[in-house]
Amino acid sequence: MPSSTSSPPSSSERALEVHHLSGPAGSPLIFDIDLFVDCGETVLVLGPIQSGKSMLMRHLVGLECASTGSIAVDGFSFDPTRPDEKALRKFRTRVGVVFEGSALLRRISVVENVELPLLEHQHRSRSNARDAAQELLAEVGIEVEADTMPVQLGRAGQRRVALARALALHPRLLLLDEPTLGLDSQAAHDFDETLQALQRRYNFGIVIFSHEVRHAYAPANEIDILAGGRIIARGSRESLLESDDAVIHGLLHRRERE
Amino acid sequence: MSLQDSAQGRVSNSYVTREWAVRPARGLRPGGRFLSRGRVAVGALHWLGWIIVSPRSVVSGGVTRELDNLGVGALRLVASASILVGLIATFQVAYQLKQYGAESVSALAIGWFATREVGPLVVALLVVTRSASAIAGEFAAMATSGELDALRAMSLDPVKYLVAPKLAAMCLALPALTIIADGLITLGGWVGTTFFLGFNSRFYLEQIRTSLSTSDLVIGVAKSFLFGFVIAIIASDEGLGIDRRVTAIGEAASRAVVYCLLGVLATDTLINAVFYFIPALVF
Repeated sequence: MPSSTSSPPSSSERALEVHHLSGPAGSPLIFDIDLFVDCGETVLVLGPIQSGKSMLMRHLVGLECASTGSIAVDGFSFDPTRPDEKALRKFRTRVGVVFEGSALLRRISVVENVELPLLEHQHRSRSNARDAAQELLAEVGIEVEADTMPVQLGRAGQRRVALARALALHPRLLLLDEPTLGLDSQAAHDFDETLQALQRRYNFGIVIFSHEVRHAYAPANEIDILAGGRIIARGSRESLLESDDAVIHGLLHRRERE
Repeated sequence: MSLQDSAQGRVSNSYVTREWAVRPARGLRPGGRFLSRGRVAVGALHWLGWIIVSPRSVVSGGVTRELDNLGVGALRLVASASILVGLIATFQVAYQLKQYGAESVSALAIGWFATREVGPLVVALLVVTRSASAIAGEFAAMATSGELDALRAMSLDPVKYLVAPKLAAMCLALPALTIIADGLITLGGWVGTTFFLGFNSRFYLEQIRTSLSTSDLVIGVAKSFLFGFVIAIIASDEGLGIDRRVTAIGEAASRAVVYCLLGVLATDTLINAVFYFIPALVF
């Protein structure tokens, strides 16, 4: 059976620590979530559609107001029930987010997309930010002209640019929402490899929110099963595979069925 | 983020922080629409000041792009419509004055109200039809595709990066377009007066010179600046304040046109009333 959902893993370098998170205030869709991610660790939040994955991710970057709970990234915490703008701003520099569908700004170039957080939070000069953006893009395997627009890249390329933008401020935690959705298997595999290489290099914690069981077969250190807004099980893939719970069984055995 | 996930019976944004875009549904509060527009306006004005002192910022680059789109892009429409408005005004005024045998002063009438009223108003209405729905639709599409969330997740203020460049461009483009429209309405009037009513060009130009005044031109340009402000703020607010439904894009674009038209007309009425009741303001 999977381990209890309330026992946090012990680690000295914690990237993310979430206690008893419920929300959004007024009409909660996630309930009493505890989530712990160490630096260098990858946690997969696996759940069917409408299980609350996206809502949980929105809470973790302060896009929703929680009714209860606490969130801390790299030791820096903010009150998710009454987020203060200044605290939220500091908090968000420690978290990188790759939204589903990349969510790149379509009206500006690829390089400018990556430049934005550097200019806003590190107050770099334009030329310096541009060089740093090009370096980041090279790290995720993208080489583009200064005026290349996001629509000129394919879906896989856009996902990599979103990854570069998320890593621009060297966050301690990276959140990815359905990162390989819509990519072919080769592109998805390449994206995973790039992600792992970057994690080895920068030692950030990763949380992947997905309904795709393929992520459970990539080196996720821990899998949290989310259903109905609650984490119903937590553990390694091997321990979860032994579960006879219908939801867990349905999620993890889909690959075999396919 | 799956659409289904984000739409679990929850269609309007909840109030998270004081960030403008995450706020209660406006329809649920009395005066909510005015409050939200006021917040967008204050934020945009703040960042407008910042653009002026930081002309090399990435946001200022956006102003150039928006000027090209909202200003230069509207030139053909404004030019052709202005000539037609000049012709319409000539025929209409001449038709009315013909009853009194005063057809010859129709050029005077064009000079009287082209720069002060018709020019700014026609340009504002043309820009509303062309750009208000585009601005609202663009922001609404960004909201549904998650781009606004991505900006906020990086603590990048959408008002600074999206609204302020549009506001700056609109406040620069409308006065410029108005000056061009004033000239072309006069040109349309000349075509009508000379080729259709049979007066000679010299007569027309003399009448126009008599009727044109610098104060009318300045008031017209100042009006168009205010119209630009009203259009940019209302259209942006309508686009940014939507919930995450795909149909909300069309609704936002349609509402933007309606409210911008009303906003421009209300502003014009207010300005005209002020000048009527406080004549000392007419310098």
